[in-house]
Amino acid sequence: MKRLIAGAVALGLGGSAAWAEDLTLQLKWVTQAQFGGYYVALEKGFYEEEGLNVTIKAGGPDIAPTQVIAGGGADVIVEWMPAALAAREKGLPLVNIAQPFKSSGMMLTCLAETGITAPTDFPGRTLGVWFFGNEFPFLSWMSQLGVPTNGGADGVEVLKQGFNVDPLLQKQADCISTMTYNEYWQVIDAGITPEQLVTFKYEDNGVATLEDGLYVLEERLADPAFKESLVKFVRASMKGWKYAEENPDEAAMIVLEYDETGAQTESHQKRMMSEVAKLTAGSNGTLDPADYERTVASLLSGGSDPVITKAPEGAWTHEITDMALN
Amino acid sequence: MSSLEESVPRDWQGAGWRRTAPLIAALAAGAVDWRLGLIVGLWLGAWWVNTVLADRGARLAVPVIFGLTLLVLWEMAVRLFEVPGVILPPPSVIGARIMASLPILWGDFVQTAIKGALSGYVMGCGAAVAVAVLIDRSAFLQKGLLPVANFAAALPIVGTAPILVMWFGFDWQSKAAVVVVMVFFPMLVNTMAGLRAGEAMQADLMRTYGATYRQTLVKLRFPAAMPFIFNGLKICTTLALIGAIVAEFFGSPTSGMGFRISTAVGQLALDMVWAEITIAALAGSAFYGAVALIGRGVTFWHPSQRR
Repeated sequence: MKRLIAGAVALGLGGSAAWAEDLTLQLKWVTQAQFGGYYVALEKGFYEEEGLNVTIKAGGPDIAPTQVIAGGGADVIVEWMPAALAAREKGLPLVNIAQPFKSSGMMLTCLAETGITAPTDFPGRTLGVWFFGNEFPFLSWMSQLGVPTNGGADGVEVLKQGFNVDPLLQKQADCISTMTYNEYWQVIDAGITPEQLVTFKYEDNGVATLEDGLYVLEERLADPAFKESLVKFVRASMKGWKYAEENPDEAAMIVLEYDETGAQTESHQKRMMSEVAKLTAGSNGTLDPADYERTVASLLSGGSDPVITKAPEGAWTHEITDMALN
Repeated sequence: MSSLEESVPRDWQGAGWRRTAPLIAALAAGAVDWRLGLIVGLWLGAWWVNTVLADRGARLAVPVIFGLTLLVLWEMAVRLFEVPGVILPPPSVIGARIMASLPILWGDFVQTAIKGALSGYVMGCGAAVAVAVLIDRSAFLQKGLLPVANFAAALPIVGTAPILVMWFGFDWQSKAAVVVVMVFFPMLVNTMAGLRAGEAMQADLMRTYGATYRQTLVKLRFPAAMPFIFNGLKICTTLALIGAIVAEFFGSPTSGMGFRISTAVGQLALDMVWAEITIAALAGSAFYGAVALIGRGVTFWHPSQRR
């Protein structure tokens, strides 16, 4: 009898939670302040208020968010626009529903002792870049500079960088790809001073592409119930982002709580959150079509090796953000 | 009919049961989904053809038909069930990708299999044989080196590969280093077993001839150890290729089979991944086959080589 009552109570409590809609978000990388807005929304109950039960899946090396969503492992993914557009051209119809990151944080960091002072010094050098979707802005820039990426005297030798800054520290590469909020600071933490480095920001060189955005599969946008969930999700996420921008230290501590690996440190995350806040500033989540066009133009102008071969159609929508943020 | 055939119940023997069961299976699958029925029907049909041919003793045709059937079933399943190409591409698309990317595939093969795997294999197996001879000479070394080699073999490759990349750089040298670590212990153990396998009678005979340790080693014990050594070499061919490919996941220049597989997965170019898998499988089989062939020639005297 006691078991029956306990079971009925559990069913009753469970029943109320069942009214919440489930949504799975796949992040582009491991749990870190780069995704602070989502963790803040989760921790502060913004998703719960909207009636959403959100599961945040961390990414990592060898996890391509586009593959996860293609396999049905997530409903929404955080991905960079070049990778999403390339996936769209390969037959995976991803659509951008929101763009929290307004500016690009990608840079190429070189040791000053290599003598590189400008992009014209790249030929004949060894440059490191991550792959798994992060190589597209780099390949696009090299293509625009007219520098082949397969070595040779007038080309660059490209190294598939692991997710650390060792190639620069061990002098195996002249320059490596870094993010303003992550790897650059890892280099500084390793003891190299900013004066010993020469940094080229993609934004300053006119080759910046849009980074962290939210993407879903096109066919799911035909389902009105799913669209409703997305509207609530975007609204709560942007609330989380704006809170994180205003309270970066608190947001960093929240991210640390959710870090299951224990690999992140407080100082690194606080620094990351304040740098990321500079990238999300200026965006309320709505994709700016002008930024989109600039990204597409940059990817198309790749010369012999463009990242995409034709301008995508229907790759973004304002439907969700209009309903979420009006 | 012999008494044996009479004692077996009629349901179990004879063509009746064997002919109707596949037909029923295909129809049942077709009742679930016509596409499934087509695939099951084709599979069972090809199996029947193969059994008929096997009875007739057609040695090469049977595995070829089996392989072709697998490819056809794969193609049919992907096309009929409209599986998205970013999950599983059909063999026709993979074949087209192979034909279109032969220079890239050749470059990757040279980088990984020749420069990485083969050089590591030669260095690792050579070192293992040399250490085995040293250990054989001295029991002191055996007690000391064997546990250390055992420990080194247990180190996980996903842990040692990034470290070796940091020490030896991004190019093929670090991949060869990973292969050496992977290949050393199996080869060492096999060679040691081979050196110990010499029969006491034959060793005594060499002693009566007044042979030195070196003469006994070169003329009797090493040739007698060849079956074991080639056993080890064959095992190490697969380990070498696996080691070279996996080591490339942790840092590589922009060529190599492991590099191409991991970046193609990131770009959702699954047809390229499968093309590389095919090349790796062909390379591995060819490598193993070549070593087995050489082994057969060298150990012609061994009972296992009797035809």
